Amino acid sequence: MPIIEARNLTYTYPGSSSPSLRDVSFKVERGEFVLLTGPSGCGKTTLCRCLNGLIPHFYGGTLSGELVVSGLKITEHPIHELALHVGLVFQNPENQIFALSVEKDVAFGLENIGMDREEMRRRVEWALEVTGIKDLRDRAPHELSGGQQQRVAIAGVLAMRPEILVLDEPTSFLDPLGAVRILEMIKKLNEEGLTIILIEHRLDLVSRYVDHVMIMNEGSIVLDGRPRELFQSSYPELLGVGLPKVTKLFNMLRNDGLNFKDVPLTPEEASRLVEEALHDRGR
Amino acid sequence: MSFLEGFRFRGSDSLMHRLDPRVKFVYVCVIFLIAVMYTDFLVQVLLFILQFPAVYLGRVYRQWMKSMRGAVFLAVFILVSILLSQYFYYGYNLLLSDFEYALAMSMRFIVLVASFSIFFLTTSPDYLGLALEQSGVPYQFCFAFVTAVRFVPVLAEEAQRIIDAQRSRGMELEKGSFLKRVRNYIPILIPLIVNAVKRSLELAESMESRAWGSSKKRSSYYTLKLRRGDYALAAISIAALSISLYVKYLVMQGLIRIPMVLPLILRT
Repeated sequence: MPIIEARNLTYTYPGSSSPSLRDVSFKVERGEFVLLTGPSGCGKTTLCRCLNGLIPHFYGGTLSGELVVSGLKITEHPIHELALHVGLVFQNPENQIFALSVEKDVAFGLENIGMDREEMRRRVEWALEVTGIKDLRDRAPHELSGGQQQRVAIAGVLAMRPEILVLDEPTSFLDPLGAVRILEMIKKLNEEGLTIILIEHRLDLVSRYVDHVMIMNEGSIVLDGRPRELFQSSYPELLGVGLPKVTKLFNMLRNDGLNFKDVPLTPEEASRLVEEALHDRGR
Repeated sequence: MSFLEGFRFRGSDSLMHRLDPRVKFVYVCVIFLIAVMYTDFLVQVLLFILQFPAVYLGRVYRQWMKSMRGAVFLAVFILVSILLSQYFYYGYNLLLSDFEYALAMSMRFIVLVASFSIFFLTTSPDYLGLALEQSGVPYQFCFAFVTAVRFVPVLAEEAQRIIDAQRSRGMELEKGSFLKRVRNYIPILIPLIVNAVKRSLELAESMESRAWGSSKKRSSYYTLKLRRGDYALAAISIAALSISLYVKYLVMQGLIRIPMVLPLILRT
């Protein structure tokens, strides 16, 4: 059974005349690393808000169709119940930290559900450990760098032990190195069984981690599949999605008649493919 | 704004930091009460000296000096204005006791700033919020308080960014009459407020996503527990208050008099 299943989801924000999501249907299997991408304003963030019930419970508006997350219909369960299954991390880390010390903030969600202190301490320790911010536990949020703040935000969500982690452009406020470090950490969590849904524009940065890509345009999912398959078509480029540069290069070479076994997603893969091709030719 | 630095908590650890915020608050309130109770320069000086151990134990000397520097500046202002008003009120004549009184009032101000500065320097707003919570204040208010403190540096930074942006488009803040200068700040205030509202929406979203309001009974990561140091400080506070009440009673009965400081100094 898929961990997330949407059927004909259509949603209109209150006061808006046209729907932001149109007839969206998709499935996500447990343990997948999903990349959700598409041009600005295509409905990616709106879709994320549906996943933990912010839509419709917090935003209102009209929602039709069905969305089942971890076996729960989002329309029938309140946000705080869904929050135990789906952790949502937003773009700006600054606005996700409430307390004046890191550990207190990581505990915020657990305090809200009224967890007893013993278990809470264990969870906070664990979350600080996996996000690599144990040394920062007593620091105030404004003393941290953007990357560190985002780690705190992720730790705060992870402490609730969700099955699904949804990240809405978590690296857009970070420098490239900080971004890569966060993504490596997310990949590690994914390998331990967490289902990841990541919104990101910079495909160069994230393609190597993902095994399922969904591309949205104007409120609909227009492409849904494995990255290697999707990235071979020129359709994403037409929508304004920036494919990884190596993938683009290989697509161009292919059109010029050079044949490689596969399409690479990373420079490392590309160099291996080139090596193999040269080796074959030498024979 | 370095004066306000003397009130901003920075994560640190010391004997003063570890004291229970409730007891610390009681202590500060006792100092406040005594300072208000007496109009004698000698008592105010004693109260001021009483602050030294706290500053030493809290290891906040440098920040504390910042608030003190600001306080001395204002205290001089208080001193001069009191002397002037008495000079005119009592018919262009000033007695030694008037000087003593003005000095006492200025010193009282310094004492109040000193003690509250120590309190805020050594008390994390997280614990302050917790203290409020455990004193029966509804959690929503405590949360609002902690969040307000949390976002002061964020908003200050944002205001600076907006000022820079508006300046780089040629806006001149320090130009024109007083009214004009106040009006100059409107193009800074509007984006600041709009941003703050947007920010609050994002905050609400993030709070909802972290199970805000899911149970009636919240638990708390930090706890407040009275330790030996807290009992000691509570005892000191109660003793100080009782002694000063007793002395005040004796003074009012006319049994003792608190000596003036200035004549003593002048005689030597």
